[in-house]
Amino acid sequence: MHHDIPMRPHIAWLDLSNRRRGLTGYCLGMAVYTLAVVAMYPAFKTSSSLDKLIASDSTAAALFGISGSISTSSGWLNGNIYANFFPLVMLLLTIGYGAACLAGQDEDATLGLLAVLPVRRAVIVAQKAAAIAAQAAALAATVAVLVIIGRSFQLSTTAADVVSVSAAVFLLGLDFGLITMAAGALTGRRGTAVGTGTALATASYLISSLAPVTSWIRPGRYASLFYWSVGNSQISRGVSVGDYAVLAAVGLCALTAAMLAFRRLDIH
Amino acid sequence: MIAAIRTHGLCRNYGPVRAVTDLDLVVEPGQVFAFLGPNGAGKTTTIRMLLALQRQTSGRAEVLGLDCGRDYVEVHRRTGYLPGELALYPRMTGRQHIAWYAGARGLRDLSLAGALAERFDAVLDRPARELSKGNKQKVGLILAFMSRPELLILDEPTSGLDPLMRSEFAGLVREVTGEGRTVFWSAHELDEVQRLADRVAIIKQGRLVATETVENLRASTPQMVQARFARPVDPALFAAIGGVSVTACDGMAVQLRVTGAIGPVLRAVADHDPVDFTAQHADLDELFLAYYREPAAPELSHAP
Repeated sequence: MHHDIPMRPHIAWLDLSNRRRGLTGYCLGMAVYTLAVVAMYPAFKTSSSLDKLIASDSTAAALFGISGSISTSSGWLNGNIYANFFPLVMLLLTIGYGAACLAGQDEDATLGLLAVLPVRRAVIVAQKAAAIAAQAAALAATVAVLVIIGRSFQLSTTAADVVSVSAAVFLLGLDFGLITMAAGALTGRRGTAVGTGTALATASYLISSLAPVTSWIRPGRYASLFYWSVGNSQISRGVSVGDYAVLAAVGLCALTAAMLAFRRLDIH
Repeated sequence: MIAAIRTHGLCRNYGPVRAVTDLDLVVEPGQVFAFLGPNGAGKTTTIRMLLALQRQTSGRAEVLGLDCGRDYVEVHRRTGYLPGELALYPRMTGRQHIAWYAGARGLRDLSLAGALAERFDAVLDRPARELSKGNKQKVGLILAFMSRPELLILDEPTSGLDPLMRSEFAGLVREVTGEGRTVFWSAHELDEVQRLADRVAIIKQGRLVATETVENLRASTPQMVQARFARPVDPALFAAIGGVSVTACDGMAVQLRVTGAIGPVLRAVADHDPVDFTAQHADLDELFLAYYREPAAPELSHAP
């Protein structure tokens, strides 16, 4: 008996339109930061003091996602962008939206008008997921383009590696956005959703960052999405098919969980 | 004929709280069906179950012959809905809401939306955050009506509207039902629906306490009898009659509330040398207030 209106991306488009100013701000801020980091590289390229500092307290450096030399191109990009700041900003964006798009809208009472559209609830979730992906893609593309442009500042990292690790951070953000959305669909509470997404992301970051320097944490690194995106030297060796597969599989599981949970959510 | 709405034993619990209990409801097509009850009676919960926004704990609900849970997409396609607490996107204008909603519902013809906006004198070019409650409500009404749905489910539709707009809304409801479409209208007060409603259902503490036509409700309201006599009478004589309660007595006059046949009362009054006699039905609003107030429903209730 289901006669869906052919799926048009109205729901995703509405959310992207309503969040365009915020997304522009995220992208501009990240663009300025990325440009500043790559532009500063020549000044630190020959400096050995930073490497000595890191070597003197590798555990503290690991807390910031830094391991190994920071004066190499990949070390510089990893230590200043890909291992910490970029994923952090990405997660702020996707966890924030993931919590707002279902649970937040239910709390604001705007979800009711969406939920009485003649589409299945799974379609609503799919469009919200598409909106997360679009926002994460915009941010990842901004960083990738700026880093590739910034290679003129004596960075030797290949464009392919930049694109692949940026894509991995995109998937990382998408995964945590979907996990947060699923938590929101399950509970209907924005705060619980943000808390769940943030707690999991923080644990994931710490596990991946400290695994190289803390032996008892090391076996747990496979449970960290950071490990599969930026925590296993992806900036220098590229992102493997296995890395992508894990990130994609987690995203699919989270999306499925969100759809199942949203089917049962009481909407106000 | 397929009912516009039919529920059977519909229940919804929130933990230990029974929000809706064993609700049996039939709304015939082409009717204005008023769904009345005080705050927290279960009206909005019922509406949300009809639209599959919330799941029932037990029981069954059908809208336009479709199972609400299984066929909710088709139910949504054929239904217009105005929520009780309408929330619009704060930065979007009414016009943007209408354009977006029409697109999302696959509606290409916006002529009715334009006509409704004109009819309600709706403010469409200011962001929703700047609109008054009444102007937001007008946008909500346009969204509900603009696709010409077979069934309109309206939760407190006149909330925030001024008397002129209420009158305009009443005219619109008449037109809609004149076309054979159905209006399910949730409200607090009988006053605003009694001129339009074909049938009225009263829900209290999650239970249906009455379903009747307005005319039958009027007919079944208690009669208030006042009689004055030439000599003192014993009020116990009247209290002994079935369906009669004495509400006032000053020796020479009695005031009675009669819910049964009036004949025995007339005979008892005639036997005691009456000098004056009046009988009239109680005010309908009083009946509703009684439903709301009293722990048990008045004895007139007619559950379906």
